[in-house]
Amino acid sequence: MNIFLREIKAYRSSTLIWILSLCTLVTVFLFMYPAFTRDVDATRAIMANLPAAMRDALDISLANFFTIYGFFAYIFTFATLAGAVQAMNLGVGIMSKEDSGKTVDFLLTKPISRFKVFTSKLFASFGLILITNTVFSLTSYIVAGIVSTDGLDIQIFSLILASFFLIQLFFLALGILFSMLIKKIKSPVAVTLPTVFGFFIIGMLGSIVGNDNVRYICPFKFYDLNYVIDKGLYEINYLYIELVVVFIAVIASYLIYSRKDIRAAS
Amino acid sequence: MNIIETKKLTKYYGKSLGISEIDLEIKEGEIFGFIGPNGAGKSTTIRTLLGLVYPTSGSATIFGKDIIEFGPEIKEDIGYLPSEVFYYDGMRVIDLLKYSGSFYKKDQAVILKKIKELAEYLDLDLKKKIDDLSYGNKKKVGIIQGLLHEPKLIILDEPTGGLDPLMQQRFFDLLREENKKGVTILFSSHILSEVQKLCDRVAIIKDGKIVKIDNIKDLAKDTHKRFKLEFKGEIDRKQVTELIGVSDLAFDDNNASFLLKGNINEAIKLIAGFELTNLLVEEPDLEEIFMHYYVADKK
Repeated sequence: MNIFLREIKAYRSSTLIWILSLCTLVTVFLFMYPAFTRDVDATRAIMANLPAAMRDALDISLANFFTIYGFFAYIFTFATLAGAVQAMNLGVGIMSKEDSGKTVDFLLTKPISRFKVFTSKLFASFGLILITNTVFSLTSYIVAGIVSTDGLDIQIFSLILASFFLIQLFFLALGILFSMLIKKIKSPVAVTLPTVFGFFIIGMLGSIVGNDNVRYICPFKFYDLNYVIDKGLYEINYLYIELVVVFIAVIASYLIYSRKDIRAAS
Repeated sequence: MNIIETKKLTKYYGKSLGISEIDLEIKEGEIFGFIGPNGAGKSTTIRTLLGLVYPTSGSATIFGKDIIEFGPEIKEDIGYLPSEVFYYDGMRVIDLLKYSGSFYKKDQAVILKKIKELAEYLDLDLKKKIDDLSYGNKKKVGIIQGLLHEPKLIILDEPTGGLDPLMQQRFFDLLREENKKGVTILFSSHILSEVQKLCDRVAIIKDGKIVKIDNIKDLAKDTHKRFKLEFKGEIDRKQVTELIGVSDLAFDDNNASFLLKGNINEAIKLIAGFELTNLLVEEPDLEEIFMHYYVADKK
């Protein structure tokens, strides 16, 4: 419990900044929704004139864009990108900082098993993600409720918001795994940014060329929000893929951590 | 009862050797010195005992319990002070020490009392931030951190670097005090005089192997001193050569250098008769001692 609390405290301010930024992002953009929909036909014409490839890249569906869900989904692309960076940075950092800060000797010479150290940190990072999502979701519900002219379908909106959580979960697990596989991480950002933007670009290119197979390897494409808006459901296969990847990443990380030699600081 | 017992403890880092077939038996209540040059395997042995690295082969027990199977349980009663201390930046000393104490089952109020006692004794300000501390003061945090739970076994890995002589003295007093209460101490160092001052028995390690385990008294019996003499005129080689206990003798222009074992009085008397411009008597470095043991082994 002490490691858990210590980690929550250590990440308190950075998580707060992430939450504030994310909430500001959705709030500012959602308040632009009424302006977009005031003259739907004119805006639709502009959108229709955009190259189809660009619309695909940004996941803009002409059918949905002018609904609150479609508009929100559009903002959401950027929010998830930011959320992925936050989650992965957390995952990479929470494990590797003991190495880079050389505090690992302090921790592992205490009467505590590596399993407990690992699970405490796992739960702390998960907790921080959970807090982020709770505040982010509540803010989104409230603001979307204010700007939406014809109510809010809670199921659709919740599924959209839950995909933010699922994408964060994926990158958190990936971050933890990477922190185990990569030796001597000086700065988590150096690992996080290339990975997250790599996935993001792959997903974008996949959408442009219309290659659906890309969706199997790109977490940003696991949850097609246009599908969610139309059907009110996730495509369940992708959810399974995510759960399997997260499960394997966590187990593998634990196995590596429990057998790892902690060399003297130099 | 043996507090620490290792059986053919071996550690390879990939293909490079850390330690090879280390056999140690450290008894309850003794101060055991572990001495060797840097890179000899002292830290690797200690890190293996603490479960920071896993042995390639062999085994070890502490308090009669296997170090891997009962790692967390054993560590309840071990205090560890590493050669270099690194702590969470941004924390105050007292917060770090309380955090450190929170891992132990012992009553936290008792731990806090001990923290305050030790801080006063070592003259450390508990309210300061770790970042703002000098190297020596960080070391004090390390000492308190290693002792605050009143461990039954204290493991020290080159602990004195960065401490001024006065603090070093206090620190040694502190260790002797703990030792009187029955605490066992494993003290690793590359400074022979330090180990001689404190320890009952000593193991000498080189290239990952134990070269010799000896009582410190026996080791002290063959205390070696390195003499360097600079003569004003011609060197009386014959007299120097005939001195008892001289080895590793070398002449160079007006200089003579040798290692003297045992009683120094004979040598001083002889040297008093020489016409010298300079005289140095110093602790031989470890390498020289090791050379001596290697030569002795071959005989």
